[in-house]
Amino acid sequence: MGNMKIKAKVKGDVVGVKVLAKHDMLTYDQAKAKGKEANFITHITAKVGDKIVYDVSTSQFWSKNPQFKFKFKKDGFKDGDKIAITWTDLSGKTVTEDKKIKGL
Amino acid sequence: MNRRKFLGVSVLAVAAIPATLSALSSIDFRATKPDAWKAKTVEDAIKALYGDIKPEESGVTVKAPKVASNGGAVPVTIKSDIDAKTVAVFQNMDPESAVAVFNVPENGIVDYFLKMKLKATDANGGNGVITAIAEGKDGKFYKGTVALQVAKGGCEG
Repeated sequence: MGNMKIKAKVKGDVVGVKVLAKHDMLTYDQAKAKGKEANFITHITAKVGDKIVYDVSTSQFWSKNPQFKFKFKKDGFKDGDKIAITWTDLSGKTVTEDKKIKGL
Repeated sequence: MNRRKFLGVSVLAVAAIPATLSALSSIDFRATKPDAWKAKTVEDAIKALYGDIKPEESGVTVKAPKVASNGGAVPVTIKSDIDAKTVAVFQNMDPESAVAVFNVPENGIVDYFLKMKLKATDANGGNGVITAIAEGKDGKFYKGTVALQVAKGGCEG
């Protein structure tokens, strides 16, 4: 744990999610300058149970330690449900962390 | 199983999540549309992703600060009320244009926030533009843009 900070909270009919992921997001140019291999998050998926609620393919131009927010309708979800966020990076590393959704 | 679904499922499998086929599968646009990520202009990136489209100049809002002091983390919000299948985000400041391609889930809302790394805009005369395209379920495309200036680049690192 500790790779992501996740906040998920219901407001009205909508679940709002805020995430801070820990990743260098090293672009090809930055990697070249530092003599390292480029590596950045290439995909982020969020699920509640087996239902996908956020799915994005990403480029090297997300900031270092990327911060992102998204919303989805709360229909069909119940108290105690957790949101699980998974990222995959260029090196193939995958990290998943989850958090209980507040206010369902 | 078609190719799109197959790729989606393989992404889930890599992510070590039980590969159950829910209503919506994950789509890895980096795998399905590799050229869109290599394109150096917004026009070419849009073409590589969606083909030769003529988007309506409405329906999508992009928000960013007029002058971003720190190019390393420029806050950007993309919103749309269009019933969208996908939403793609591009910019004209970095070496390549694509930033994100969202696959909008069934109960998803197009209200996305992210922080971008952008190069300083003095190189292109201060004309920084972020472009978002929404692919509607109605088969039409919608476009929104925002102009901004970036004082200090985020890619110099």
